[in-house]
Amino acid sequence: MNRTRHPRVRIIVAAMAISWCALGNAAQDAAAGSSSVAHVATDASPSTFAFNGFGTLGVVHSSEQNADFTSTTFKPNGAGHTHAWSAAVDSSLGAQLTANFTPRLSAVLQLIAKQNYDDSYRPVVEWANIKYQFTPDASVRVGRIELPLFLLADSRQVGYVSPWVRPPSEVYNVVPITNNDGIDASYRMHVGDLTDTVSAAYGRSYRVHFPAGSSIEVRDLRGLISKTEYGAALFNLSYVAGHISLQPVIALFDAFREFGPPGQAIANRYELIGKLTTIVSAGASYDPGKWFATAEWTEFDSHSFLGVNTGWYVSGGYRIVQFTPYLTYSALTVASMSAAGLDAAALPPSLSGSARALNAGLDAILRERAVQRTLSAGTRWDFAKNVDLKLQFDHTRLGPSSPGTLINLQPGFRPGGTVNLFSAAVDFVF
Amino acid sequence: MNRIGLALLGIALALASGRSMADVVAVVSVRSPIVALSRNQVIAIFLGSISRYPDGTRAIPLDQAEGSAVRDEFYSKLTQKSAAQLKAYWSKVIFAGRGQPPPTVANSIEMMRSLRDNPAAVGYIDSALVDDSVRVLF
Repeated sequence: MNRTRHPRVRIIVAAMAISWCALGNAAQDAAAGSSSVAHVATDASPSTFAFNGFGTLGVVHSSEQNADFTSTTFKPNGAGHTHAWSAAVDSSLGAQLTANFTPRLSAVLQLIAKQNYDDSYRPVVEWANIKYQFTPDASVRVGRIELPLFLLADSRQVGYVSPWVRPPSEVYNVVPITNNDGIDASYRMHVGDLTDTVSAAYGRSYRVHFPAGSSIEVRDLRGLISKTEYGAALFNLSYVAGHISLQPVIALFDAFREFGPPGQAIANRYELIGKLTTIVSAGASYDPGKWFATAEWTEFDSHSFLGVNTGWYVSGGYRIVQFTPYLTYSALTVASMSAAGLDAAALPPSLSGSARALNAGLDAILRERAVQRTLSAGTRWDFAKNVDLKLQFDHTRLGPSSPGTLINLQPGFRPGGTVNLFSAAVDFVF
Repeated sequence: MNRIGLALLGIALALASGRSMADVVAVVSVRSPIVALSRNQVIAIFLGSISRYPDGTRAIPLDQAEGSAVRDEFYSKLTQKSAAQLKAYWSKVIFAGRGQPPPTVANSIEMMRSLRDNPAAVGYIDSALVDDSVRVLF
């Protein structure tokens, strides 16, 4: 299933391995007999390498036993129906190698092992890029880089950096893709104590896999992000656009096409094949040390059956010695839930039955879109060096007739209800 | 009586050591062209958001050992952040592939030596250790 993705990954990994081997010897020679301080003392410092890792061990219990809760739509199962207590939702292990060949040229390779779409834990390349720093404030990267969206764009997989067990699904699950194979350029501006970093990204083609054999391909991805830092305040504005195609195509829309121009219009409106998709997001956070407040908003429009999705959250917490209790409220909505469909009454009796069936099929697809609101309460406990423990309780109210972000809906599942979730996670970095 | 006296002495000692620990100062070599840096500039240099001094030359921040009292004091004074919060901050930077924290020196003696050897470096020490080889920024 991962065939389409493997060749490119292999090429990137091989290229980086070769460059590391070539430069590694030089680094070894130079490293002998000099302290780490001496390394940074001159501009002509030799190559330096850093190995870092992170991970999360988490368990989740859901009150809804007829469906699964997952942290992203890329996971095939989770807590609720498949497992009473699921370790698959949040657990992960990541490793990263950073190489600074010269003060200007560096490379990073990050691998993450977590539950994949096929239920395996095969490590996946999260980042693999080479960066050239033209000036201290201007750089270009080529390879697998982050998708420039959200406050946690470049660290959403690292539990230790965030106050919560996981970033709020109502925003972060709207765009589960985290990376982009392409190029980006960043420029950092300083105005007094204010720092603004603007990045532009481009990716030619990228495919990601969902469970049960479906996948989406993103082509001609363009992204623009602005990050403004002022003291303890951080603002984030981003825009991403690309052409998205869903595989396999939904047969229902081809059936609509059999009904002539009105059916074709419906199919063209709702199918997801090469549709221009735009995502905007805005976020702000303030963290003066003793407490934090953060909020994000995003809108996703694929001009398809997925509709216009709007997600947002507000969250705040207060630090008491090693504990950081927090509250989060988040919501996900979809504009226009119902479709006009075919005018069955205007059709000959021999066709009106199938037209009604197609309309019902389309309605069912539109109803399954995620609408929900969640109130979360939890605490982070920094109980040891480089390790935290988090406990979180989520109360989710699903939108009318919507399953929310739940998957693996069983016959006994009733949409539109409420779901309670309990999560415990230990995050670590090394 | 004797017990009370001991207790008072203990409290006095604790307060004294607590006070001396609180006096962490940011320093550069006397050979450094940098005469003054604002609090915000020092924060930005140590958190990696700027890499140059106001005069355009390269800034090399040096950290004291992880877990040392002087380091925790420096960051809590400057950024109101605990050691765990700083670790979370640097984890965000590292795993975004955007940089590494400043290199560390083993102790204050090493810090003084490194500053003397490198006019581009900026560090911090207990104010009691300030001598004529370093210039106090604040």
